[in-house]
Amino acid sequence: MSTVHDVAAGPSLIDADLSADLAGASLALARRFHSGATLWVISPQWEPHAHHVAVEFVHPVVVGKRALPAVALVAADTVAETRIATRPGDVVIAVADAADNAVADVMRRAPAWGVETIWIGYGERPPPGASDHVLWVPTDDPMTPATGRFVLMYHLLWELTHVCFEHPGLLKAAEPECADDVCITCSDEGRLGEVVAPPADIMSGALVRTAEGEEYVDTMVIGDVVPGDLILIHGGAALTRLGEEFGS
Amino acid sequence: MSGENTDFLYPFIDAQETDAAPLLADLASSARGKATESARLQAASLEEWGPQIEEAGRAIAERFAAGGRMYTFGNGGSSTDAETLASLFARPAHGRPLAARCLAADQAVITALGNDIGFDVVFSRQLMAHARPGDIAVALSTSGSSEDLMAALVEGRRRGLLTIGFSGHDGGRMAVAEEVDHCFTIRSQSIHRIQESQALVGYRLWATAQHHLEALRKGSAS
Repeated sequence: MSTVHDVAAGPSLIDADLSADLAGASLALARRFHSGATLWVISPQWEPHAHHVAVEFVHPVVVGKRALPAVALVAADTVAETRIATRPGDVVIAVADAADNAVADVMRRAPAWGVETIWIGYGERPPPGASDHVLWVPTDDPMTPATGRFVLMYHLLWELTHVCFEHPGLLKAAEPECADDVCITCSDEGRLGEVVAPPADIMSGALVRTAEGEEYVDTMVIGDVVPGDLILIHGGAALTRLGEEFGS
Repeated sequence: MSGENTDFLYPFIDAQETDAAPLLADLASSARGKATESARLQAASLEEWGPQIEEAGRAIAERFAAGGRMYTFGNGGSSTDAETLASLFARPAHGRPLAARCLAADQAVITALGNDIGFDVVFSRQLMAHARPGDIAVALSTSGSSEDLMAALVEGRRRGLLTIGFSGHDGGRMAVAEEVDHCFTIRSQSIHRIQESQALVGYRLWATAQHHLEALRKGSAS
């Protein structure tokens, strides 16, 4: 039976590393919900998984568990829809393989939107740092999205997230690492921004979205900008423009 | 913040709790334990339903070979699993694409039927419009007793469809209804674990159908 891949469950659907990743992602997600986040779910290739994650959080199967704001984003232009939907402090979960350009582009822009990201997939892993949390099924079997492995993953994410709500002391947002002597705005650190609108005239800055909200940024150094450009900002000025690795 | 009386489960629960390490270790351990139970249930389900999967897979293949179509449906999370199953038949990563689609996918149709007639008919009325003898109806449920699914299976049988149900717990109405040709009951009390096993049984059903379609094709060519 050449068409039949044996995906019968082995003894370790979730190994030690993946269980640690799940634990970390669950606590992060619980903390974000505790602070008022909405969860946005994208899965351009496997749309039903996006809907399943959302309904899981909105209408829990366990009676008595609180309903949480989660929404599947399934418009044709994933990047455009996610950009408009998200607010700083929100969370995006993607169910996609590492080759999904739209998802990779969302992940690249997420820091400028102030969004924490969780990437569920299988096959080759995304590059390090591509997403805040990576929950990866260790297999190359192309049938994986239809065998329940992803369903197990987001079921566990939901179950563990609700366990975290029983530990209120651990839900407070981590204090930003911003001591007096090292501050983002006065250190050498560049912040990621996404251009919303180019300068209205030669005397104005470009309107740019960052994790802190919208601000005007001097773009003299990098020249003309267009909406969607990703830029590094330091001290109110754009220092450099990030390359278009995935297009958008 | 939680109205649930579950403090006894976590003796260290404390609003002043500051060290996340013990919780993270517990969460990871819990994830592994639940995954082990999921795998056990999947293996037990495949063991229990192996012969039925073979029989149903063969019947599905015969119907597709004769030009039949598959309609899948379910409620809530099961509606998304029904759509995943339909996508597996219609657009598999490998194998032969087959005419399958999910009846929960069109919000205009669902809301029109739900609003004008009632939610119980949202799937059965669609089968009245689309289904022909020789088609296949697949219902996914964790209780086995949802009225809208049962109405559609009964309607499907009336119209000469092969009727297949996925159920959970003790199987509910689906497991005993004479209108259901094959009912795959996943014996668990956990809706999550039931859905995870249903996905794998559904995958095996697809693989078996593909295998028999291939055999039918070779048989007719020789």
